[in-house]
Amino acid sequence: MLPQLFNWFRRRRLETDFSRELQYHIDRRVDDLTRSGLSEAEARRQATLEIGGVTQIREEVRDVWLSRWVRDFAYDLRFSARSFRRSPLFTATAVLSFALGIGATTAIYSLVDQVVLHALPVREPQRLVVFDWKGVTASVNAFGTYNLLSYPLCRDLQQQERFFDGAFCRAATTITLSTGGDHVPTAAEIVSGSYFPVLGIQPSIGRLFTNADDGVPGANPVVVLSYDFWHAQFASAPDVVGRTVLVNRHPMTIIGVAARGFRGIDVGEVPSLWIPASMSADAIPGFDQMLNRRVRWMQVFGRLRSDVTQAEAQAGLQPWFKAMLVEDAGRPEFPKITADRRQRYLASALELAPAAQGHSPLRRRLSQPLWVLFGATGVLLALACMNVAGLFLARGSARGREIFTRLALGASRGRIGRQLLSDSILVALAGGLLGAVLAPWVMAALIAFLPRDVAATALQSTLNPRLLVFAILVSVTAGILSGLAPAIQAGRRSLMASLTERAGTAAGSLRLRRTIVTAQIAVTVILVVGAALFVRTLTALEAKGPGFDTSNLITFGIDAVRNGYSRESGDRLIRGVHDDIRALPDIQSAAVVNNPLLIGGSWNMPVTIQADQRIITDREVQLNAVSPEFFTTLGARIVAGRDFVERDTLPAREGGLCVAIVNEAFAKRYFNGRSPLGAHVGLGSGPDTKAAVEIVGVASNISYRGVREEWEQAFFPLVSCATSGGTFYVRIRGSRDAAIQSIRAVVHRADPTLPLGAIRTLDEQVSRSLTTERMLAALSAGFGALALLISLVGLYGVVSFTVTQRTREIGVRVALGATRAATIWLLLRDALVMTTAGIAIALPSVWALGRVIESQLYDVTPTDPPTIAAATAFLCSAALMAALIPARRALAVNPADALRLD
Amino acid sequence: MPPARFPIPQGTLDMLILQILSLEPAHGYGIAQRLEQISKSVIQINQGSLYPALHRLEQRKWLKAEWRQSETGRDAKFYALTPAGRKQLAAEKNDWARLARAVQVIFDEGR
Repeated sequence: MLPQLFNWFRRRRLETDFSRELQYHIDRRVDDLTRSGLSEAEARRQATLEIGGVTQIREEVRDVWLSRWVRDFAYDLRFSARSFRRSPLFTATAVLSFALGIGATTAIYSLVDQVVLHALPVREPQRLVVFDWKGVTASVNAFGTYNLLSYPLCRDLQQQERFFDGAFCRAATTITLSTGGDHVPTAAEIVSGSYFPVLGIQPSIGRLFTNADDGVPGANPVVVLSYDFWHAQFASAPDVVGRTVLVNRHPMTIIGVAARGFRGIDVGEVPSLWIPASMSADAIPGFDQMLNRRVRWMQVFGRLRSDVTQAEAQAGLQPWFKAMLVEDAGRPEFPKITADRRQRYLASALELAPAAQGHSPLRRRLSQPLWVLFGATGVLLALACMNVAGLFLARGSARGREIFTRLALGASRGRIGRQLLSDSILVALAGGLLGAVLAPWVMAALIAFLPRDVAATALQSTLNPRLLVFAILVSVTAGILSGLAPAIQAGRRSLMASLTERAGTAAGSLRLRRTIVTAQIAVTVILVVGAALFVRTLTALEAKGPGFDTSNLITFGIDAVRNGYSRESGDRLIRGVHDDIRALPDIQSAAVVNNPLLIGGSWNMPVTIQADQRIITDREVQLNAVSPEFFTTLGARIVAGRDFVERDTLPAREGGLCVAIVNEAFAKRYFNGRSPLGAHVGLGSGPDTKAAVEIVGVASNISYRGVREEWEQAFFPLVSCATSGGTFYVRIRGSRDAAIQSIRAVVHRADPTLPLGAIRTLDEQVSRSLTTERMLAALSAGFGALALLISLVGLYGVVSFTVTQRTREIGVRVALGATRAATIWLLLRDALVMTTAGIAIALPSVWALGRVIESQLYDVTPTDPPTIAAATAFLCSAALMAALIPARRALAVNPADALRLD
Repeated sequence: MPPARFPIPQGTLDMLILQILSLEPAHGYGIAQRLEQISKSVIQINQGSLYPALHRLEQRKWLKAEWRQSETGRDAKFYALTPAGRKQLAAEKNDWARLARAVQVIFDEGR
């Protein structure tokens, strides 16, 4: 097929070559024959006779170059192109319909591809697996996202050479980096020495880590830069190897730059540099637990041997894993746990999951919304196809005479059908091309919905060959689908009937167009209902808000420990800044917290409650340490008991946290309406957890991880020298810019080298935390509107066609005394039937599809009756409007003219 | 009057062309001449049907063609066997032999 296509483009060359070849044959034959005594004329006559019909041979050879089907198709395309040039308006409408559908689909597919489908650009990514601990861990500490394991476990897995060609581990972190100038927060990946060799990444310059760089903790202060960072920060300077950079103010040497195009293994968190795990104490300030087998903070990946399946490796690992569990439980430093918990710990297993796409919290968060949107664009594309099919049907009726003439002249029905199909494929390809050109803009607009820091580094809005192939495949499919109905229609029509029929009264084609409009309306109902649900979700979340007053509230963070401070000096710095800010004239109040709100993360742990009886919370409680005035600064209410006071922040006798405030959700879930005041809590769920912290207050619910969630929370006072808090919340009065100026001045006075990132308003924070919801609402509303437009145009077309067709009938009716209302009703009834049929088809699908999007909704069920009623009512009235415009034309029919028609 | 010539059996032309070209490269007219000689005028070949066959074999990459000077000094399109063509010829010869043997066995049976 491919060489044949190639032949199409060089067919002129082939023709001349063949002519020469044939000429040579004849000339030689003539020579031979004249030599044997024939006259020149006689010889030429005989030679031509011997070779047979030259034209026929030529045709046969052409069939070899290019099979008949391809040739016909190519001629069809040429014919189509010519006929489209003659009807530019029709062509523009059809191409634009396709361009919208294909552009949107390609854009969303690009995001799906980048976030969900794209395999890592490493050697044989399909052999990568990620390890996951299933069961109970003996974890004393864990931080990170999910699939967390410890560093020593990774070392163990590296020994499992029976199943793996190596294993590696990694953890994402943010460090403060100085390449000579300012100290800038920078994304980094802490990796084992086996990371680059197992992934199969080559250096661009210098060298990459080996196991030798990941030996004795603290012995190898080296880093590898990413290609993009090297390019942006060092202008691709070749002498960068050997230079020193400051990582959290610790000097480290650059040993190389990774391969171009390799951006780590997390699509949502692209590191600028890599740091060996042996340097984790410098990369994560205060962390000295790298060799602790029970501290889980890294994701561990393995490369399966080519002769081992994932299931075999998983099964084969279990004996070693069980032995490891038993051995570890026998160690003296193993935490004391109950017999029951120990049992469950020993029953744990290690699971393997495919990891060709790496590890990505962004994927977890976005993949479902992206698939929903991808489904919606697919539907939109289907609508566009139906629209074009409708257009072609209408054109088919108009082209009736041409087609009948061709049939009468002996063209086969298949041949005519193929001609019509090539029409639609040509239009679809043109539309697809236009769509592919539009796609990058759509992508850029989509990416703008995501938080800027994620989108800027991780997602690209350029068109690559993969996408182009996708767009072309989609175009051809769309072309075939939308051309199928008209082609079949043309093939079915009887020649006799067609020739006797008056022009433009093809009943079959009208029936098909009615079906198409009905289907379009059905699809539109689904999209409009979906859009209404997502918009209601967004408005409900915006109306709910985070539970506190966000106006005039700003926030910023200071990362002391990543800038060379010890815990003690860092705490002094933050207290100093806090006091200075509170003293500023344009500040109403200010608070410091340990963990920032509304960024998607939280500090959480199960909690032991000691009231009348001892209970352990059935799920993790979200915790935070806050300074006094936190609740007043945010404007949250203390509904019972008291707020924290300055005295609570003094270090207690045993360094413990002695008072706590819980939120209303906590009180409701665990105290069932009774007052929690006076009860005691302790962090953890073990039998030896001391519940020594007294609950002294109950606060109103505020959002922690996100606006959507209403979770149990407990707050502790930010005790001096005990935490590394550093997120400020400041309620300002007066101008925001002036307040930000004076805050920056305060921080600068405290430490001129301290990096101070963005100072954000809480309004901005809330809006950032709703990006996914906003994206779904905006896009689904856009799709809904587009779908509505497309199907209303379709409906308009059908009704308008009917009016033209029934002009004579209407004339007769009017002549016989039909009223205006009766005439209009005659046409509206038709539109109403199509609309109600479409709605009737759509409602069960709405019910079924609702389950898919249920988890994305808030405060509204997918089958919410008012939403559906409003959406269908809106659609009905819009449909009637679209039908009314052409229907009114029927009123202008003059009976006398109508009867003279034809 | 010479005995009537057989029309060439369906599908054997390709094999004959490959066989002729296995000896040395040749142009279309040369192949036609050689077919004529070798078959000793027993088999009748329509010279016109030679060219679609040649182009088909070239398309299948069993032959490769190049323009070069012929024995008369004019440029002619010369065809030569490719390794794939050589393999194809061996396979077809083998098939032909098997078929001929089988037919012979059936004839012998009838005696």
